[in-house]
Amino acid sequence: MLLFRSEETVARWCETHGVPQRPLISLDQLWQLAVTWYGDRLTEESRRPGADEMVEIFAGIGLEGPFWDPRADQW
Amino acid sequence: MPEPKDLDVAVKLKVYETVAATGNAPSAADVAAALALSVETVAAAFDRLHQKRLLVPEPGDPSRIRMAPPFSAVETSFRVTVKGRAHFANCVWDAFGIPAALHEDAAIEASDGYTGEPITLEVKDGRPVPQACVIHFAVPAARWWEDIIHT
Repeated sequence: MLLFRSEETVARWCETHGVPQRPLISLDQLWQLAVTWYGDRLTEESRRPGADEMVEIFAGIGLEGPFWDPRADQW
Repeated sequence: MPEPKDLDVAVKLKVYETVAATGNAPSAADVAAALALSVETVAAAFDRLHQKRLLVPEPGDPSRIRMAPPFSAVETSFRVTVKGRAHFANCVWDAFGIPAALHEDAAIEASDGYTGEPITLEVKDGRPVPQACVIHFAVPAARWWEDIIHT
């Protein structure tokens, strides 16, 4: 997961590495993801979300489809 | 000796409390000394916590921790400063994960993944400060843990 100044530098990075460009994430989306994923990490109850929870968390910030599904076998 | 489930919780908390307080991940020997356990017992807990994807051991040395997500035990290109203490994050998601986990504001020194241009991110009053940038996930969720250090 990398940070870029612009969509243009993402495109150059993807071209250099021979990988397709994926949908871009905003800072606000990333912050929501960080709070949901790690907000309780220093507590007894903390655990990594399961597959269904992951899909729900991603959908909650507008990230849907097989790329965001940990059970998917193609994307 | 506590049951493995309780033991794993105790080890997990000691690891995370230590890295949050010092910026450095403890070794199995450090945790063993702090909890009055054997190093072997703690190393076995590290392994179970790795299976639960809460820790990543150093490749080739299961007694040392490489990642306690969102914290990295080694220097990375995501330096996160919280209340004057420097931490390193595994990726840009984890760079935000550190202030999220600590419930604190943070300054994050990062850079453009292609050009290397420095980009400073900030979390202030519990929100990211707007900045001209985007985040790109190149690896699909199903493959994140095939090589989590690379991801």
